Amino acid sequence: MDRSRSSLSFARQFRNTVLGSLTFLFFGVAVAPLLLIVYVAWDSGKSVLDWSFLTTLPTGFPVGSEGGILNGIVGSLILVFLASALSVPVGVWAGMYLWQEGKSPVAHLVRLLSDLLLGVPSVVWGIVGFYVFSTSTGYGLHWGFSALAGGLTLGFIMIPIVTRVTEQALREVPLSYIEGAFALGASRWQTLRGVALPGAMAGIGTGILLGVLNVLGQTAPLVFTNYYNTGIPNSLVGSQGAVGDLAMQIFIYVHEPSKAMHVKAMAAALVLLMIVLVIDLGIRLLTWGSRKIASRV
Amino acid sequence: MARMSVSRFYAYYGENAALRDISLEIPDRQVLALIGPSGCGKTTFLRSLNRMNDFVKEFSIEGHVTLDGVDIYSSEMHPVMLRRRVGMVFQKPNPFHKSIFENVAYGLRIQGVRSRTILSDMVEKSLRAAALWDEVKERLDSSAFSLSGGQQQRLCIARALAVEPEVILLDEPASALDPISTSRIEELIQDLKTQYAIVIVTHNMQQAARISDQTAFFLSGELVEMGETSRIFTNPSDPKTEDYITGRFG
Repeated sequence: MDRSRSSLSFARQFRNTVLGSLTFLFFGVAVAPLLLIVYVAWDSGKSVLDWSFLTTLPTGFPVGSEGGILNGIVGSLILVFLASALSVPVGVWAGMYLWQEGKSPVAHLVRLLSDLLLGVPSVVWGIVGFYVFSTSTGYGLHWGFSALAGGLTLGFIMIPIVTRVTEQALREVPLSYIEGAFALGASRWQTLRGVALPGAMAGIGTGILLGVLNVLGQTAPLVFTNYYNTGIPNSLVGSQGAVGDLAMQIFIYVHEPSKAMHVKAMAAALVLLMIVLVIDLGIRLLTWGSRKIASRV
Repeated sequence: MARMSVSRFYAYYGENAALRDISLEIPDRQVLALIGPSGCGKTTFLRSLNRMNDFVKEFSIEGHVTLDGVDIYSSEMHPVMLRRRVGMVFQKPNPFHKSIFENVAYGLRIQGVRSRTILSDMVEKSLRAAALWDEVKERLDSSAFSLSGGQQQRLCIARALAVEPEVILLDEPASALDPISTSRIEELIQDLKTQYAIVIVTHNMQQAARISDQTAFFLSGELVEMGETSRIFTNPSDPKTEDYITGRFG
């Protein structure tokens, strides 16, 4: 048999091999930082990582040299909950609005503002949050350094992320399904609720996830709105309303001139990664049905 | 008797006229086939009959389309109400990501029908009318995607029938289907015309000849001629029609 008709040319084989290797190489470069973080955090933090580390409050001097990080775990979850409570409804509604309005001038304006908001440095959000929620002078709501002030400030950061991803996810629902609903006499709202939204749930879940993960790692906005608490507050507002926060806790521990505190910071980082993983899996599970739908299209 | 009537109708995408000066009558309880080469405007025309083009940016119209004497582009007819009376089936089956039952019930649910008895009755009636009942009656709760392409298209027809329209628009409903599924859809159209006015866009000349009573030939955005299907296919009055149906172009 004529060899030229039965096998790839050397040049093509060579290209395939090179491109294949490059793909693998870049994949390796992409995951290396993650593996590095996990390795470093595990290697230096594993000695203090046990059940009581997760379930006790920090004590000792400096505070944290004894005890665990329960304040940070509880506080982070409270902040994420508050941030989501603000940003998910607002962001999803704004995304639905953008989907409906499409190319109207107002929609373009909202999109532009939303992109600008994505570019605002988080420390600026912190200052805005301080003036709006925390301070007792100026425009403030006088909530003090509190979970509510911090959570809502983080919510502001999440809103544009959820908005843009929601709009995108709705746009990816095939037009033929949208038209199918319209052709049966569905109104825009009925089409959105009954056909577009269910088809976009997986994408919206991803948007919420991106927002939550972003917010979980923020420290700068909290410096001016919540800061830190070594205990667990019984109020979300007022001078006693601040909560602990894992990212802030890591930041503070790393600044202590003490090896023991650095080890605890590493262990806390590992816990933060685990929380990220659990939230990721949770949202994937919740939108599983929609994901299956999307793969059939 | 004409169910819908189109007079001096123009349709534009921006500056481009996609349809020019179309006037025709859509008879009740008959099948009207729209034929013509790709890009001749037949689908634009079909989608103008239930205002599906409203969603296209820069789309505009002139002239009149009436349903039972009421202008469908006037404020007397809300597009949502129009689409409940003028149903549509698309080229590619597009069932919703719901069960077979819920697909057929959807149009009624959005009208606020809650009674389980009424819904069940209408779902069965519509699936029977779409010749699908015997194949799916045991598995109404399965996903619509468990059906074959031909069954999905009959489900979409059942879904359109459930809201009790007066006119049914079909946009090449069998073009994505195999020959056996196609012949089932064609038989179904013959049954449905005893109750509805049917307008079908088709690329398939034999199909138009087999199933339609009236045929309208479109070319470059104009209606060349319309008449009894038997006459159009045997003795067209315009040479362009003859060229097209004998396969000289298109």
